[in-house]
Amino acid sequence: MKTPSLTNRQRMFMRCAPFNDERIDDRGMRSAVFRVRKCDEFAHQRSFDRAVAELVKTTPIPPEVTEWESKQTLIAPQKWTWKKTAQNPVIVAIGIAVGVIAGIFVFHLVEHMGDFPGEETARKLLSVARSTKPAQFEALKTDAGAVGDLFFMKHRLEHYDVPPEFADFRTIGSRVFDDDEGHRVAQVAVVEKHMQFLLFPAEKDAKSGVPRHFSGWRYVDFENWTGVVQEHNGVCFMAAMRGGEKDLAPYLKKKD
Amino acid sequence: MLGDEAKALEIFQAIMHEAALRAAAGEMPKDRLWLLRDARFRCLEASEAGLQAEEIEMEEHEIDPNGPAQIAKLEPIQLAIWISAAPEPQRTALALFYLDELDHGELLALTELKTVELGKLIGDGRQEFQAWLNSTFPHSET
Repeated sequence: MKTPSLTNRQRMFMRCAPFNDERIDDRGMRSAVFRVRKCDEFAHQRSFDRAVAELVKTTPIPPEVTEWESKQTLIAPQKWTWKKTAQNPVIVAIGIAVGVIAGIFVFHLVEHMGDFPGEETARKLLSVARSTKPAQFEALKTDAGAVGDLFFMKHRLEHYDVPPEFADFRTIGSRVFDDDEGHRVAQVAVVEKHMQFLLFPAEKDAKSGVPRHFSGWRYVDFENWTGVVQEHNGVCFMAAMRGGEKDLAPYLKKKD
Repeated sequence: MLGDEAKALEIFQAIMHEAALRAAAGEMPKDRLWLLRDARFRCLEASEAGLQAEEIEMEEHEIDPNGPAQIAKLEPIQLAIWISAAPEPQRTALALFYLDELDHGELLALTELKTVELGKLIGDGRQEFQAWLNSTFPHSET
């Protein structure tokens, strides 16, 4: 077989390619050898080199030298350096895989960092607020801070109080209903930017039945509506309105 | 490298002595090929002090499929003398290449050559050796 056309570099690789394939440590050389491995010219070169190496091996070694050789090797074994380890394709592949897994983990962590007990219920109630028509409310014109007493007196709902941040708003109407899971939910419509308040029982621990507390205000959103939720005495209060977090945030700062 | 067993042995013992001293002092070099590097320089030093091969234009022949048969007729000392007569750095390149103990990267490091230079030296050396084989064992004899 004739030698295929090679670049100057490939030809040079071919000329100095070790006749022992195990000694080829260069990818370019390996590919050049692969291209010419079936060519007569290369086959002759290899037979020639192997014959010379065989002759070299028959060189008589003086006993003084063999004595030394049996004691220690003349070439120290190759050491694995950090740089070499880092360049190993297997290590690189493992590194990338670990990086991707870590990335996904961090993404999930960040995504769920704002989660709070009862978030799912709050999201469902946001969709209720979004779809509630004004006619569904019973007319109620008072300060929002006073509805807690009304809910207690009329519906026996304890601790269904509006927090101070939203207590000054004038109400338009209210209603009380049971959600899918049979929890009593109080809903209040206020004048301020068509905002609605929803009060519902905090999520309870499945084993102990104790309400799962969380501190501060937590945001939740659903289809262009945003709610801000706070838990107090086992009851969650959510102020909900059309818009984003930036629309609700000023109300929370007001009483700080 | 030297084509002279006595000189080679002398250098070998000197290197091993040096290695033993360094090991005892805990000063072994970090370069894992230092022993071969040291051996090469000592051989070059020793050969510079002795008789110098005359620089002549060597004839080059294409590698012959019959080459291995021609080589089989040689004595190791003949090959050693032929290689030791090659000019530097071709001599080092050929000696280390046919030692079959080093990979390509190590060969480049020890000879301080680039692949292109090493390829030319080895390739030319191979064809010069073939020419010498052809003149030593003409085809009619093989």
